[in-house]
Amino acid sequence: MPGLTRRTLATAAALMPLLGFQMTTSASAQDKVQVGLLAPLSGLYARPGQVMKMGAEMAVKDINDEGGIACMNGAKLDLVVLDSGDTTEKAKNAAQRMVAEHPDLVAATGSYLSSFTLAVTEVTERADLPMLTLSYSDLITERGFHNVFQTSATAGSQASIALPTIMNLAESASGKRPKTVAIITDNTAASVASVKAMKEGLLDKVGLDLVFEEVFTPPLVDASSLVQQLRARRPDLLFFLPTVISDAKLILEKMNEFNVKIPTISFGIAIAEPDVLNTISPDLINGVMSAVANWGAKGQEDLIARLKKEYGEPWMTQNAISTYGDMWVIKAALEDACKPDRKAVAEALRKMDGGPSRYYPGGELKFDEMGRRVGAGLTIIQWQDGVPVTVFPDDLALAKPIWPGN
Amino acid sequence: MAYLKSLRPIFAFVAIYFGIALFIENQYYQLMITLVLVWAIFGLSWNMLSGYTGLISFGHAAFFGIGAYTTALGQIHFGLSPWVLLPIATAFGALAGLLVGIPTFRLRGHYFALSMLAYPLAMLYVFEWLGYQEVTLPLVRDHPALYMQFSDHRIYTLLALAMLVVVVMITRWVERTRFGISLISIKQNEAAAEAAGINTLAWKLKAIAVSGAIAGAAGAFYAVVLLVVTPVSVFGMLVSAQALTVAMFGGVGTVWGPIIGAAFLIPVGEILHAEFGTFIPGIQGVIYGLAIIIIIIVAPEGVFWKARDILANRRAARARREAADPAAMPCPEKSEPSPFPAAEADAAEEAVAEHTVSDEIVLDVRGVSKSFGGLKAVDNVSFEVRKGMILGIIGPNGAGKTTLFNLLNGFLKPDEGDVVVNGRSLVGRKPHVLAAAGVGRTFQVMRPFARMSVEENVRVGAFVRARNGEHADALAREAVEKAGLSEIAGRRASELTTKELRLMELARALAGQPQLLLLDETLAGLGHGEVGDVVAVVRRLVREGMTIVIIEHTMQAMVRLVDRFVVLDHGAVLTTGSPEEVTKDPKVIEAYLGKKWMAHAES
Repeated sequence: MPGLTRRTLATAAALMPLLGFQMTTSASAQDKVQVGLLAPLSGLYARPGQVMKMGAEMAVKDINDEGGIACMNGAKLDLVVLDSGDTTEKAKNAAQRMVAEHPDLVAATGSYLSSFTLAVTEVTERADLPMLTLSYSDLITERGFHNVFQTSATAGSQASIALPTIMNLAESASGKRPKTVAIITDNTAASVASVKAMKEGLLDKVGLDLVFEEVFTPPLVDASSLVQQLRARRPDLLFFLPTVISDAKLILEKMNEFNVKIPTISFGIAIAEPDVLNTISPDLINGVMSAVANWGAKGQEDLIARLKKEYGEPWMTQNAISTYGDMWVIKAALEDACKPDRKAVAEALRKMDGGPSRYYPGGELKFDEMGRRVGAGLTIIQWQDGVPVTVFPDDLALAKPIWPGN
Repeated sequence: MAYLKSLRPIFAFVAIYFGIALFIENQYYQLMITLVLVWAIFGLSWNMLSGYTGLISFGHAAFFGIGAYTTALGQIHFGLSPWVLLPIATAFGALAGLLVGIPTFRLRGHYFALSMLAYPLAMLYVFEWLGYQEVTLPLVRDHPALYMQFSDHRIYTLLALAMLVVVVMITRWVERTRFGISLISIKQNEAAAEAAGINTLAWKLKAIAVSGAIAGAAGAFYAVVLLVVTPVSVFGMLVSAQALTVAMFGGVGTVWGPIIGAAFLIPVGEILHAEFGTFIPGIQGVIYGLAIIIIIIVAPEGVFWKARDILANRRAARARREAADPAAMPCPEKSEPSPFPAAEADAAEEAVAEHTVSDEIVLDVRGVSKSFGGLKAVDNVSFEVRKGMILGIIGPNGAGKTTLFNLLNGFLKPDEGDVVVNGRSLVGRKPHVLAAAGVGRTFQVMRPFARMSVEENVRVGAFVRARNGEHADALAREAVEKAGLSEIAGRRASELTTKELRLMELARALAGQPQLLLLDETLAGLGHGEVGDVVAVVRRLVREGMTIVIIEHTMQAMVRLVDRFVVLDHGAVLTTGSPEEVTKDPKVIEAYLGKKWMAHAES
């Protein structure tokens, strides 16, 4: 036996110069484990994509600084970044490129817009590459795929999670449960779908009476009559669903002018992106809340500070923190799988039972058979002194909610 | 045979492309070469309508998106396979084309382009409203091939190539038949096309239906390849723009244009994206945009035409070098202006005497009137044209000649009166109906099909009579000969002189074998000798039994040409009569030349 080994070694040594290139790549692949980020880095959605990249880079650095993958002799993570561009076609191309040119990838995360994620996962599913995503669309995990894992609450469940969360927040902040609500929404598809779900049962379920509803077509020209009517109805809550920031500005300005002080709650991260401040002054938007799938929260103060210092990002949006968290989930799966193999990592993700979630609100680090994170919740954020901060649930809150009228 | 021959280069292209595709293992490159074909097909669809008719469509995404959604929703809701849905999507595309075309073809030019823009935008919102923001083609794990799902991506390339071949064959076939000729003549001059007997609306509708069908098929296949369909990805502005970009880059109005455009732009865009997207995000867009700008400046009609022009010029230069051989210096053209106009005039008089006017009435105009607002442009005009006669309609500028002309050939509908051709009342009928009834016309403003040869130009006019392509060729050859253009039959129209263009225009009208020819200021703007040449052709036609009505505002050449004059002034008939009578009529001289010429007339 030793002779055989020696002969094998000798043969290998003789072939070394010939196989030189391959040998080095496979050697480096052993101490580095490739993980992917496929996000829009150019075009219309470049900004959120860049923020996802920041989150991924920070996580990879932290994981490697902590000693890499312990089970694999401290193998370091190597981040492969691909640009999904700004169209579904480009995203699919990028996914095809990812699986074709990076065969050593063990897992990836992406791709911001649900439609991009849908296209990308069509490719990754066929390539058996596990893909984590922060996209909301229910469809992503409705296709019977085995290799896609959704960390956010899905769009279909968000409204039903959000309303009780908001009611709890209102009760704990103001001391009484709100009874009436007004809805101001534009007529874009996403807003209309959310409002429809609310009106078809969700409001009744939490005991809210809809006293005023206004649907407008962007761009809004004048908000005076709208705000006057709102003032006349005196609802306990206002659900506020503009898509275009200038519309939000116009309505908030009028509310300020008419001195309408109603707790205002939006849905989604659009109203809390840093560029909102380019349009709306911090004073005007102060107190506006939003129900979001993830946000920088309690226990992540250091991360938020680092993001600010290293990248100049004023605060940590869902895109940064979820992508950061995804890398830790991949790390955990690698520790379970204990080998740089995408199928093994996928299997580890399917079987994962990582206890309470650290970087996503609510629930556990565990995926159901559809690939949805078990118990995924929402956080409520509020603009306070020019920064949207997490105010609910309490265990994640970085600040106490301001409740108008208190 | 010629049709098959014209397909030879495309078959060669397909064979090479497939050969390359077979050797590509990398799925990413496979996807890219498949997408090249999808966009080439979509570009060809755009070319079918906009390339040939010149009606620019900014809204081809409407048909593309319908195809894509047909495939996605058909599989999701009805469990149908894309194999079945592809033809259905094609049919829906054609139907959508007709539905869009019927209202939109009322518009021309920019208005057409802009209103086309509205369709995909509207569809985009409709599909969002229907709740189809994102649909995906379900993954089929058992018998995937039955649902057009292949793990070997080369099969997609093969399918796309097959579709491309079919689309190219259709395009080539259209180009070579009456269909294509009609579309091209619409592009050059819709009015002239109508006058040449082409039912422009019918052909445009056929074109948009075929174009919509191809776009629907392309969209359906795109959905199969991409697996995800969103309103923006199939109805978006960028989708319509993609069709325009590949076609305009490669060359408009040719089967090769979209193929060249797609084969260059799609990979370049994608490679730039792959190479630079991660490092300098957005730089790919800048380089891509610059490349397109440069190409458009250097080759505004597209790469194909530029390349063809360069080749043609090189060939011409070589020919000129050979011709410049001093020994073989050709003698100047024989149609040089004659230095003896008087002699010509004598010959002319002889010629007039030769032809005989029968009693048979070919055209009977009875009391036609036309007002524009308060202005009576034509007021109760009546005259008869007998077989074999040359009737001249003259009058000073603004006398209503052109309006009268347009009333005769269907471009305008008279308010009152009747136009009887060979005993049949054709008043208010469309120009192409009149053309079919044997009334041909030329235009004052010449609109030749510049890239086409003289004979090809003339061939356009032949389709009103021709039974098939060969018959059209024969008619065209005959007409070219009658117009005395046989020697330059192969020359491109853009190289012709004004006189030759006028004669070509005449030949185009003749190719439709009219019994009655309406000539609109055919002699205007010609030099003296050139007038003689055109007059000679007109005379020859009359000798051969043609009946001609000619409009002119200069009387000079007409006097010796026509049998009878109708003199118009302020929309009404001032007088009619033989040239001698009319030229001596003081009313005519006054209307025409002003009072100071009266003295000359009386002397």
